[in-house]
Amino acid sequence: MSGVLGRSVETITGALRALFAAEQLATADGFLQRRDPRVSLCAITALALGVVLTRTLGVALCFAALTAGLARLSAVPLRRLLARSAVVPLVSALVVLPQAILLPGDALVRLFGVTVTEAGVAYVLLFTVRVGVGVALLSLLVLTTPFSALVAALRELRVPVPLVWVVAVTYRYLFLFFDELQRLVLARNSRTTGETGLRDGWRDARRIAGTFVLRTLDRGERVGRGMRARGGSRPPSPYGRSRRVGVADYALLALAAVAVVVSGVIRWTP
Amino acid sequence: MDTVIDARGLTHAYPDGTTAISDVDLTIERGERVAVVGANGSGKSTLQLALGGLVAPTAGEVTYFGETTDAEAVRERLGVLLQDPNDYLFNTTVREDIEYGPAQLGLPRERAERRVASLADELGLTDLLDRPPFRLSGGEKQRAAVASVLAFDPDVLLLDEPFGAVDAHYRARIRDLVRDHDGTVVVFTPSLDAVPEIAERVLVVDRDGSIAADASARAVLTDGDLLADVGLRPPTTVRVFAGLLDDSDVPLTVPEARERLRDAL
Repeated sequence: MSGVLGRSVETITGALRALFAAEQLATADGFLQRRDPRVSLCAITALALGVVLTRTLGVALCFAALTAGLARLSAVPLRRLLARSAVVPLVSALVVLPQAILLPGDALVRLFGVTVTEAGVAYVLLFTVRVGVGVALLSLLVLTTPFSALVAALRELRVPVPLVWVVAVTYRYLFLFFDELQRLVLARNSRTTGETGLRDGWRDARRIAGTFVLRTLDRGERVGRGMRARGGSRPPSPYGRSRRVGVADYALLALAAVAVVVSGVIRWTP
Repeated sequence: MDTVIDARGLTHAYPDGTTAISDVDLTIERGERVAVVGANGSGKSTLQLALGGLVAPTAGEVTYFGETTDAEAVRERLGVLLQDPNDYLFNTTVREDIEYGPAQLGLPRERAERRVASLADELGLTDLLDRPPFRLSGGEKQRAAVASVLAFDPDVLLLDEPFGAVDAHYRARIRDLVRDHDGTVVVFTPSLDAVPEIAERVLVVDRDGSIAADASARAVLTDGDLLADVGLRPPTTVRVFAGLLDDSDVPLTVPEARERLRDAL
């Protein structure tokens, strides 16, 4: 692909396609992969809740260590997990960064006449770690459990159907739409000779954006028909992937329960 | 015979005012093998969607199995294959896509798994079952889409260009699967070469979306004037033998053509 537009689209679609490639990890032989999807879903969600509850950096770091341990046991490379989980906490850090100077407290450092407080830095650090660990836990769940198994587990756990619908349809349409965008850019590149300048690139981008909106609407309608043609007007009902819940499943659930309780006790103990 | 699909005054116009199908009356009986042919843009696909209950007609109605006009009520009995496999395949793996219909329609898992394995074997998809559909070639996607519609074994198959982008080997496999389907089959196609092998009856859609002819495969496929009027050409074998033999003797398929040549030589 050539030009800014092409490279941008390639990057985005590449990242999304990598998500699909991640499904291969879900079939690897690892600790979380061997768990019943309902157990993985409940345990990981509980751990994410536990880390969100905490107001102590030490506890949040313990959850981070637990996440890294689970990833290791599940044959998920830490670098890959970090790469998948880094964007959201970094953006969160940017959002809460002003708190480093806005929160009152002992001065840590003075920069250009602005005082950065200890309490402010601690808040930004804690917030970022909590978000990062929460996202890493959910990424770990997606990496180690096939998507259809997750949807089936949500149904088996009696999660409200509209919520399952939203999860299932968002996941499916997201990839289709980026495929559509990539096809548009490929069509443009197949008839573009030489290097396009920034100005031409953005002019094409405007055109493609308009066509993309129309095509996604059309594609959405047609995929909707494809789903309806196969009984898709009923709630998403993939075949359950549940297994016999064994000792290791109970152990994971217990670990998650203990982690949440400890996190809660530390949070609310004066 | 039982009527499985009965359309009366079926008309569909798109929001921009384009009339895709116009006042279509047709009846499909149980067990029939029907081909709906027409030039590009004649409205075949819209007719298929309207018959399959996937677009609401602007006028007229379709009655299914003599019971209901609500396609959703009989969805598990209708197998509608859309023209573009990209619209049809949207799950994370080929296996999930083939399982999607049976799962949505509540078929027992064991039965669905047996069906998936059998169709995957027939259509050369066994090694592709755990791959994402978007990584497949055009022909592989088409085969996966055909497997997806056959997986829940519907009473009526409404197939829009089921052979698109498929190589000759798998085209024959799909043709055999469709021919062996124990139910009613309606194939929508602009290509007439495959028609005689799968259909005894042919409906011709005119450029204005109306039905120009509804007759036996032989009557339609040997009528060069009719086909020319709607922007089509007779199958290759018919064009080769036209003028050399009577219409009633003109071979419609390659095996028939071979037979005629053997007789002549």
